[in-house]
Amino acid sequence: MSGLLQAFVDGCINPLTTPAHVLTLMPLALVLARQPRRFVVLLVFVLALAAGFLAIVLAVETTPARTVLLAVAAALGVMVATAWAPKLFAWLLAAIAGAALALDSPPQAIRIAEAYATLAGTTVGACTMLVVVAAIAGHANADWQRLGLRILGSWIAASAILVLAVQVR
Amino acid sequence: MRDPEHSNIAGALGVALLAALVFASRSASAHLVDGSATGGFAGGFAHPLFGLDHVVAMIAVGLWGAFLGPPAIWLLPITFPMVMALGGAIAILGVPVPAVEIGIAVSAIVLGGMVALAARPPLAIAVLVVGAFAIFHGHAHGAELPPGTDAVAFSVGFVMATGLLHLAGITFGLLTRWPAGCIGVRAAGVGIALVGVVFLSKAI
Repeated sequence: MSGLLQAFVDGCINPLTTPAHVLTLMPLALVLARQPRRFVVLLVFVLALAAGFLAIVLAVETTPARTVLLAVAAALGVMVATAWAPKLFAWLLAAIAGAALALDSPPQAIRIAEAYATLAGTTVGACTMLVVVAAIAGHANADWQRLGLRILGSWIAASAILVLAVQVR
Repeated sequence: MRDPEHSNIAGALGVALLAALVFASRSASAHLVDGSATGGFAGGFAHPLFGLDHVVAMIAVGLWGAFLGPPAIWLLPITFPMVMALGGAIAILGVPVPAVEIGIAVSAIVLGGMVALAARPPLAIAVLVVGAFAIFHGHAHGAELPPGTDAVAFSVGFVMATGLLHLAGITFGLLTRWPAGCIGVRAAGVGIALVGVVFLSKAI
């Protein structure tokens, strides 16, 4: 596989295999699924992701992005568990999640082109996960299915709170 | 027009797929980090299962929820892990909570007793009782978080095991729909309370 393609694939896989990223993207997708205008939330997320990547390109120093991601995951998990997802909160958390996820995904590549390919892959991977999970959750309309998702949200919130405590200890 | 049965099956598969995605991401990353990181998830998953006092209290939460019916049947299992996580966070941050082991034993007695007596307090009281005991359980788990463990893997495993114990309790509790099942569930409540008494006698 060529270096560029490998870098792109690595970027795609990164948000799907990094636990903190999955813990954030999963509840964000579940919130997204309950929003009347999903496209807007997704757009906010992508723009924030792009802004975060721009910050990486501009060589921003080390940030507490992982801690912020976990805090956002906890908040989103609580929103899913309580089935309370006001539009502005969803937008705000999508923006913070996008920027933090980007800042927490600095490419390891040495060549500039490969670094850009990794960033593009991360964008594609994160957005694909959001869209696919939101589409699946959007079909969960039976009462017990909605309850299952709320329980999943509470598990995500609980996990994120515990890990957050370990991070800030 | 959409076939409702088809929609239900698709939804069920969807929920299962979402849960599987969380599991899959954990094991995948565990292998990426280091060879033993799977132990983080396995260790966290096993943690609530190897303490009988924890196990019976978790099952009692599910049983009581099933006894109380909707919305308690889902509200209690949603409340418990989130409050438990706060208890765990308190422990991880080094804030002491007095008489944790006694609190856990009492939780088994009280929750088992509620099931045995088929108690039906107002929902807010039930949530308050379950939430209060969740602090003790969370604190005990948080204080025992092994140093150097993959915290995410451990936490996800530990929360999932706790949730599955609740679901086991709920599933068993659904027997209350039948008179004989109701007796069986209340008898289980007696058993849980007795286990709590044994642990309380050890703790004091």
